[in-house]
Amino acid sequence: MLSELDYSAIFLTFKLAALTTLILLIISPPLAWWLARSKCFYRPIIEALVALPLVLPPTVLGFYLLIAFSPDNFIGGFWLNLTGNTLAFSFSGLLIASIIYSLPFVVQPLQSAFVNLDKDYLEVSATLGFSPQETFYRVVFPMVLPSFIIAGALGFAHTIGEFGVVLMIGGNIPGETQVLSIALFDHVETLQYQQAHLLSICLLVFSMSLLILIYGVLQKRQQRINDA
Amino acid sequence: MLKFDLKKFNNQQTLFHFQGELPVNGVTSVFGDSGAGKTSLVRALAGLDKTYSGSLFFRDKTWQDDAVFITADKREIGMVFQEPRLFPHLDALGNLKLATKKASKSLYSISELAELLDFTQLLDKKSHQLSGGQKQRIAIARAILTGPDLLIMDEPLSSLDQHSRRLLLPFIKKLSLKIPIIYITHSMQEVFYLSQNMILVHQGEVECIGEPQSLFLNLNLSLAKHKHSGLIVDVQSSHWDPEFSVLHGYIDRQAIIVTMDKPTQLTDFQIKIESKDVVIATKKLEFSSLQNCLKVTIEQIEQLPTTSVLLTLSTGEQKILAKITNKSLNELALKVNQNIFAYIKAMNISLLDD
Repeated sequence: MLSELDYSAIFLTFKLAALTTLILLIISPPLAWWLARSKCFYRPIIEALVALPLVLPPTVLGFYLLIAFSPDNFIGGFWLNLTGNTLAFSFSGLLIASIIYSLPFVVQPLQSAFVNLDKDYLEVSATLGFSPQETFYRVVFPMVLPSFIIAGALGFAHTIGEFGVVLMIGGNIPGETQVLSIALFDHVETLQYQQAHLLSICLLVFSMSLLILIYGVLQKRQQRINDA
Repeated sequence: MLKFDLKKFNNQQTLFHFQGELPVNGVTSVFGDSGAGKTSLVRALAGLDKTYSGSLFFRDKTWQDDAVFITADKREIGMVFQEPRLFPHLDALGNLKLATKKASKSLYSISELAELLDFTQLLDKKSHQLSGGQKQRIAIARAILTGPDLLIMDEPLSSLDQHSRRLLLPFIKKLSLKIPIIYITHSMQEVFYLSQNMILVHQGEVECIGEPQSLFLNLNLSLAKHKHSGLIVDVQSSHWDPEFSVLHGYIDRQAIIVTMDKPTQLTDFQIKIESKDVVIATKKLEFSSLQNCLKVTIEQIEQLPTTSVLLTLSTGEQKILAKITNKSLNELALKVNQNIFAYIKAMNISLLDD
């Protein structure tokens, strides 16, 4: 059976994924909009930075974050002055790392939705009297809602599956930074295969369900595009 | 009053320069060749193209000058684009409701417009379930529901079926009594049916603004080549003759016959008389199948680049055009102010409604 520590790891994982997704859904739309529309010469640099976690080994990202989070460095020191806690080996550090790590999974579906959004509809919206902000929530958001669902679900699922970055910067503090994937790793290392099995199957079923949901939404949207 | 002086540059070159002033009431048509800049003009007026410099005033409001640019959403205009552009994620009713969100006033309710434009049965349909004509009728209703101070329509009927056209033309004319309309078209028929005022756009500039008939008669304008094909005249108090399926009417109190398959309620209508279909005679013709004979006075004889001439003929208050060869002109010895007969085949007269 699952131990209390396992439950606390599950709870922590979902808390981390939920918070990460929430914050990403707030910061990603404007960023994705800018990436979809901007003609700035430095846009490719920003775009590459956003996409970097897709190609970089998580340990590399984790290593640099660990350095940055150290109280000797600017970011870690600033955080220490501000809150009185260190950023490395804390839940806040984990959250920041997750946001960076899952950013491309949320930004990219939104960006492609915004790129494909016909400018004609924005013009119609303006002639209906909607300001750019009103256009965004009255027209753009409902039009690309499926992309928001996909972006959110991908960000959530990806955060749950995180391992390398967490290992580097979070360590393994139960109740604070010990997430599911780390707990699982622990069980295997200590040869507790039964518990490893249980945790694995939970994670597998959950991830599978989430993906089926995402692709179900995608299929429905494709149907609508085909009909149109 | 709408007053504008707007310029758009492309690498130091002037791409467009629109300048003009016109009263805003009824329908003002925007006429010109494809690529002349009709759509560019209305996009600049609507504020959808922000790359113009210059000034633009609507009634007592400054929409644009060196210091001010009122964005499209604050101009209180309604816009009907060439394509309907209904939002695909909403049904017809959803599209219409969205338009009422920022409306400060409303002339019609959604159900009234659905009744007038015949789409009551379509309110729960999504864009992809509707035909082009149905979509455009809903798009027009959507633009009206915003309660605009000015309605801009960019060739709204150009790709529509007969049913939608017949429904919309009289509706637009009536609507213009309540909302001033700027109406792009390349149909001469629509210009004459709808508008008292016309903006002629030519090669990226406003060439002239004025009453359609006088612009089409002005030889110095780029319209001359349109005019060569014929002019549009008003026909009064007609009745339909079921025996021969013809419509009887009068042009300046001279009788005229038009073929018409079905009975019609029309009392006054407009027809286009093609200049190549007019036959000139100095004496009355006998034993001919030509049904329509008008007594006319030659007002003007214009040599065309080809081997033909264009005669401007007055029927009294209205004018028609006739294109004849130089040879005919010579043999008949036609002169300005001469009274002659103009014959037109009954079947050659096309009713504007068709």
